[in-house]
Amino acid sequence: MARIIVRIAFRAAACRMLLVIATATAAPALAQPAETRSEEVLGTWYRLTLELVRHTPTYSPPVASRAFAYLGVTAYETVASGRDELMTLAGQLNGLTPLPARDPGLDYDDATALQASISLLMENLFANTGPTGQRAIDAIARKLDAVARAEVDSDIADRSIAYGRTLGEHVLAWAAQDGGSVVENMGFPFRYELKPGPQHWVPTSTIGQQQVPLLPEWGGNRTFAMPDGATCSLPPPPAYSEEPDSPFFVEAREVYDVSLTLTEDQEAIARFWSDDPMLTPTPPGHWLAIALQVLGEKEAALEMRVDALARLGIGLADAFIGCWHDKYKYDLVRPLTYIRRVIDPAWEAILITPPFPEYPSGHSTQSGAAAEVLTYLFGANYAFEDRTHDDDGLPARRFDSFWHAADEAGISRLYGGIHYRAAIELGLDQGKCIAAYTNALVTRVRP
Amino acid sequence: MNRFLPAIALVAIAAIANRAANAEPAVPSFVEETASDGMATVYSGEWEYMVGGGAAAFDCSGDGFPDLFLAGGASPAGFYRNISRQGGELRFEKQASGLELETVTGAYPLDVDSDGIMDIVLLRVGENVIMRGLGNCRFERANEMWGFDGGDAWSTALAATWEDGADFPTIAIGNYIDRHEEGFPWGSCTANWLHRANGARFAAPVSLKPSHCALSMLFTDWNRSGTPSLRVSNDREYYKGGQEQLWRIETGTEPRLYSADDGWETLRIWGMGIAGYDLNFDGYPEYFLTSMADNKLQALADPAPETSPRPAYTDAAFAKGVTAHRPYVGENVKPSTAWHAQFEDVNNDGLADLFVAKGNVAAMPDFAMEDPNNLLLQKADGSFVEAGDRAGIGSTAISRGAAIADFNLDGLLDLVVVNRWEEAQLWRNTSADNANWLQVRPIQPHGNRDAIGGWIEVKHGDAVMRREITVGGGHAGGHLGWWHFGLGGQTEAQTRIVWPDGETSAWEKLRARHFYTIQRGRTATVWQPR
Repeated sequence: MARIIVRIAFRAAACRMLLVIATATAAPALAQPAETRSEEVLGTWYRLTLELVRHTPTYSPPVASRAFAYLGVTAYETVASGRDELMTLAGQLNGLTPLPARDPGLDYDDATALQASISLLMENLFANTGPTGQRAIDAIARKLDAVARAEVDSDIADRSIAYGRTLGEHVLAWAAQDGGSVVENMGFPFRYELKPGPQHWVPTSTIGQQQVPLLPEWGGNRTFAMPDGATCSLPPPPAYSEEPDSPFFVEAREVYDVSLTLTEDQEAIARFWSDDPMLTPTPPGHWLAIALQVLGEKEAALEMRVDALARLGIGLADAFIGCWHDKYKYDLVRPLTYIRRVIDPAWEAILITPPFPEYPSGHSTQSGAAAEVLTYLFGANYAFEDRTHDDDGLPARRFDSFWHAADEAGISRLYGGIHYRAAIELGLDQGKCIAAYTNALVTRVRP
Repeated sequence: MNRFLPAIALVAIAAIANRAANAEPAVPSFVEETASDGMATVYSGEWEYMVGGGAAAFDCSGDGFPDLFLAGGASPAGFYRNISRQGGELRFEKQASGLELETVTGAYPLDVDSDGIMDIVLLRVGENVIMRGLGNCRFERANEMWGFDGGDAWSTALAATWEDGADFPTIAIGNYIDRHEEGFPWGSCTANWLHRANGARFAAPVSLKPSHCALSMLFTDWNRSGTPSLRVSNDREYYKGGQEQLWRIETGTEPRLYSADDGWETLRIWGMGIAGYDLNFDGYPEYFLTSMADNKLQALADPAPETSPRPAYTDAAFAKGVTAHRPYVGENVKPSTAWHAQFEDVNNDGLADLFVAKGNVAAMPDFAMEDPNNLLLQKADGSFVEAGDRAGIGSTAISRGAAIADFNLDGLLDLVVVNRWEEAQLWRNTSADNANWLQVRPIQPHGNRDAIGGWIEVKHGDAVMRREITVGGGHAGGHLGWWHFGLGGQTEAQTRIVWPDGETSAWEKLRARHFYTIQRGRTATVWQPR
């Protein structure tokens, strides 16, 4: 055996990811095939990631997307380093230099290497999480150490751990230079000067911290697959106007009118895709949950899992950078402000208006990107039931395709009273544009 | 029946509006006397003690001076007998009391058997324990005697009331995460319990489901219906599908949650503490809810006169200047973490002020480590101004619970704060230019001796100041004993009691700078320390 101990594709029903995730913390470490152990390591850390994103105050949606990208790339590169058929993303992603290689004359264990690289990323990406999160990371690391190493020769295990950590350190060094590694005050700048003019964003919250907007510099971060944050920049939104026949007023009036006649289903849609930080895994976490669900349903092989998780993370992260670039380029006033100013001073939106400029819609941009990436991976007509919010008591929703879900995610923001139609429709377009760069990444060696 | 008198409120609001709205309130002076007060309790322990750390102030010696119980977490709790002299320095003496249990997170004084000797309920990581007062600050375990099931949860909140005709109180206990869950504790909130009376014992507890990791509870008559409801402030860090809660607890019926159909709006915060007070003299309490960076000051959205209001609240924290969302000194950009909250009039001007204990959960880098406690002084226009640093109580220790009480019976309210991993701190209020005050203790002859659920009303100018007599709220601890009112320059005040069953005593003119006990059915009696 040259590069890895086991290359047997073990795809029995027993390795369904959801089952593995559900039993990961309860089951004792048993001898399992390498692929099963790898999937348990991967699935359990990703389950914890979705929890930590929800429970770490730094983790607003842009920050969450960044973590998903680095975790995905780490998992992918760890596995790809032992697979002749997988290509490295070094040289394809901005600033990613060639990663440490395995010694071709020695044996490695994928599960143990994955455990080492991902646990290192988790410790670093979630260094800011609270004591419960730290306790959970420690507990999961201990359990997965045992799972990963089960019946693996100690020399191989030690070598794999060392390799995984070296690879993880390489990724972390790369991540440290992207402009998004330090987030203070949960992303709200200490000083920020609001732009004058009625068209511009003003605070919509009575929370003291949110009197300035979230992460105004995020659009300048280094992107992953697309050249930079301006790559898929959108045209301006309709020009601000308070004239009743102006396109801007008409869009605002639509938000207002819809709110007055909101159907039960429209409200359910708004709440299903609300994906509030600190109360859910955030919008990018919602799409990650969908992807994990689909990978489990398809009983996907490890190579497919890491490829999909890397691509989705990259697409989401680039979507937030591109979206934030335009949010602060146009700095548009929210419907809550405009409608109260021009149409109805007593108006309330059913969702909490996020504390940053309106155009484009972040959920729409990242949903467009996610749908495009997942369509590339799983096909245009992959129907699924989205059970992301089962634990929170929100009923699952069925979709005929990823784009069906993305379109609903987009329009949910209008139903929720937090976005105008232009921000939604053009946001979805922006996501599609951004995802094209992700989908152009080459992960499989062409025959 | 709505006991609220709208006409009085309208007059009061008009009176307040006529005051000098922008006048700066007098800043009280506090002197820290931790080094000499004799207290040495640290709230210790790791993960299971990241919440809790309560203080209980109550008189168990019978001398009228509030004694102190401080939770110790993983270490034994501390009981301190108050040996201060009236108007003198604060002095406490550690005394073996029977309360020195380990794993205590908090405590609330409560005269369970109405024998006139204060008992105390200890909240713990593990079994909760009711300790029966024996007199002279000695206590004995009473779980078995009174049929109290202490459970085996991580208990973090308590509220008590007396239901109509009951011999024993109804006690709500708030429970936190399943502490045995290591990897995925989120969504593992354990059930809160309601212990109702069964004669002169407790019935088996009833689960208050759904439960969402309560960190503070308060029985409060929010709509002045005569029947308190149970407010529960929950920690969104751990629940899934949860929110703040308001339970109907009506005699002889199962507890029922207020819902959106009733007007109760979803609010999801890192709820850690509740303080209630009728700040605007309209007869209804406002509620301050502590959290992490997004503290709330809730006021009824539509306090409709002569009708029962819906439980819909607006957040007035920003408008009133009490967001207290980040440290008020220095250039620290990081947000604050708030725990115990208590409204009291610390400068005796007739307006309730707000104390908030602050401190990082542990060492969370997203939140301020140097996080001074707040003292927000209420101005005549109803807004608040920060004075913690100027008053001398802006400690940056990692604070949790606290109690504000007049420990040396000089009419000026003092302060004790419990700190995580550091000794508790004690401050004496030494304000020299203090205004007048009045302290009252209502007493019932039989059950519910301390008149829990009643109201004390004191006329101040054209306004009527009202305090609801409660056991609960704050963070993991509270006080029971004298109820304090600032009177400003007023030398006497018309005072009456709305007893828990709704009967109202006649107005009596009481002299400022005095303590009064008011026995039901009798006139008020001046009380003086021996």
